[in-house]
Amino acid sequence: MNDDELLAKIREQRATIPMAVPVEKIIRRGRIVRARRRVPVVAMLAAAAVAAIVLQPSGHPAGIGIQLAAWTVVKQTDGTVDVSIRELPNPNGLQRALRDDGVPASIIFEDSSNAQPNPCQSYGHPELLQKVITLTAPEHPKQNAIAMTIQPAALPSATGIQIITSQANVGVHLVAASRACTG
Amino acid sequence: MSDQRSEFAEFYRRAKNECLTAVLVSVGDRDTAQELVAEVFSRAWASWRTVSRHPAPKAWVIRTALNANVSRWRRRRREVPLSEVALVADLALPDTADSSVEPQIMAALLRLPARQREVVALRLFLDLDTERTAEVLRIAPGTVQAHLGRAIAALRHDLVPTSRQKGLAS
Repeated sequence: MNDDELLAKIREQRATIPMAVPVEKIIRRGRIVRARRRVPVVAMLAAAAVAAIVLQPSGHPAGIGIQLAAWTVVKQTDGTVDVSIRELPNPNGLQRALRDDGVPASIIFEDSSNAQPNPCQSYGHPELLQKVITLTAPEHPKQNAIAMTIQPAALPSATGIQIITSQANVGVHLVAASRACTG
Repeated sequence: MSDQRSEFAEFYRRAKNECLTAVLVSVGDRDTAQELVAEVFSRAWASWRTVSRHPAPKAWVIRTALNANVSRWRRRRREVPLSEVALVADLALPDTADSSVEPQIMAALLRLPARQREVVALRLFLDLDTERTAEVLRIAPGTVQAHLGRAIAALRHDLVPTSRQKGLAS
């Protein structure tokens, strides 16, 4: 085999692994990426306007208030819980609201100045997450929210969810429920 | 918007498999490669107006994926617990184990140093020329040629049986 044949053989390998993710999912995820990018801007604007605006985390739809809520948690009649996050000035409040609505949850707002050990252990099985959480398009896209619907009934036994946000990212994963982690 | 969407969908259809293979060869792990490529195409759609005007959008995908891989590695090194992210889990992939790079070739590629793998991915899998490869990797064109020459020599050594090896095998 000469060099040309060798290179041809290597070139044959390209595209032998199909990328099976449908373009619709890529586009949906792209919308989330776009919303995520806007979060820091929203945070800066909110900080600048903090004297005039009180961000009001709300536990019910009426409190969405809607323009200024930092996050909202809305329990639906079918037991699902809709969560929308624009920013997290009060992660403990969101954590409490989710737990009150039957979602074992741990919320961490992470930045370089408050790095702490994670109190939770990952449950693994990320494939199960999509049965519990559906990422949804924000109801008001211009408000830059990350939105999701949680189905507490679909959580595997003795598990909870953990949401970790930073200025640039929002991560959600399944964790083993424990007192330290999910309360 | 629907025109842009169609344009992006066509780009994704044409480029996704090559990009996946190229990233796989560069990072060496299939699951990681799939996550990276999905993430980067999502970013491409999020910035499609810009990316669509890029002179080599596939090269942009690869470069961004490699950068994302470095960021990911750094994050994990600091043990910041951001793994198993839902945005990735949401893209659960069907089993594609029936199609893959030939194991012998993949093993030989993975034995190459990282930079040589990147050069092979861009030059041989994406058919970028030396100048474009140099731009993507931010190295000199001469360095690209040197890496490619060394990579081919190593691959030849690994994949082309010498007459002595042939004799041993028979």
